[in-house]
Amino acid sequence: MKNCDSTRESLGAWLDGELDRAESEAVRAHLEGCVACKEEQRQLEKLQVALKSVLDSEASRIAFPPFWSSVQQRITEKSAWREDLVDWLRSVFSGPRIAWAIPAVILLLLGVLSGDSLVSGFRSFGQRNNFASVESIDAYGRNVALLREDETKTTVIWLYQNQEGEDESTTETRPSF
Amino acid sequence: MSQRLKQGLLFSSLTFFVAAYLRAAENSPQTVSVKIETILASNQSGEFDSRLKALEKQLRVLKYRSYRLLNEESKNVPSQGSASFEIPGGRSLIVWPQDFRNQQVALKVRLQGGQKPLLDTTIRLPNKGNFILGGPPHDGGVLVLSISANVQ
Repeated sequence: MKNCDSTRESLGAWLDGELDRAESEAVRAHLEGCVACKEEQRQLEKLQVALKSVLDSEASRIAFPPFWSSVQQRITEKSAWREDLVDWLRSVFSGPRIAWAIPAVILLLLGVLSGDSLVSGFRSFGQRNNFASVESIDAYGRNVALLREDETKTTVIWLYQNQEGEDESTTETRPSF
Repeated sequence: MSQRLKQGLLFSSLTFFVAAYLRAAENSPQTVSVKIETILASNQSGEFDSRLKALEKQLRVLKYRSYRLLNEESKNVPSQGSASFEIPGGRSLIVWPQDFRNQQVALKVRLQGGQKPLLDTTIRLPNKGNFILGGPPHDGGVLVLSISANVQ
């Protein structure tokens, strides 16, 4: 059996039909035997009626048809590609999906990095038998010449040796390029 | 950490290490086959050694009248190693492969007269390409070395 306090606490929910069957029956039984709580019920019902009439009158002033047509238009219209992209990115970078974004970014970076070598690979393929490129020469004080011949793609390093310390003596150390 | 996140991170790490390994493997050739053809160029006769047919166009650039192949030697050189080739006149040629990328191999080459260095050069060759190093006097002419590299 419910007392007055617990009944008044449950009264709002009881009026809204939110209580389970046993609880609802307990409240109804208490209200039949308690004048004060019955009066509380009446006051609450009056308040609900007054609130409903106010809300109804306010709602009647709102023009709902344009609102619903606008909602319908938003649903049916094709969204812009930027919005689709943002939605997709948001779904990719949310939660555990970001774990798969990490290898994707690594692969992308590797692709960009190896793109350079790929491009230069294609370039070197196009120039097969291209010149050898000399990165450094040190002839220890001797004269040296570097020749690059276009037609045969030949790179020549020619060392002009002085005769000091050499066994051979010849006048043929100078080529006639 | 969720199972899916763990899987993703594991996959990321594997991707990274595999890519790093492949890139390192590409830049470090296992073996470079280096071939040295030692040629005597002179103006003493009009002889052209038929064994030098493949090099004829390149040698003609030097404008000597006579070319004779003295020696041809090939060695497989490990990527971190070096190889020494004997050159007539007490000389030697030492070759160190440096790296291999974009189908080009970099070689450090030293020509020595006895123990005395005559020339150091670092040159980047197209794979299976060559370059000419010439000038040392020998036997009434000059020595011309064709140095070629083939990455295997």
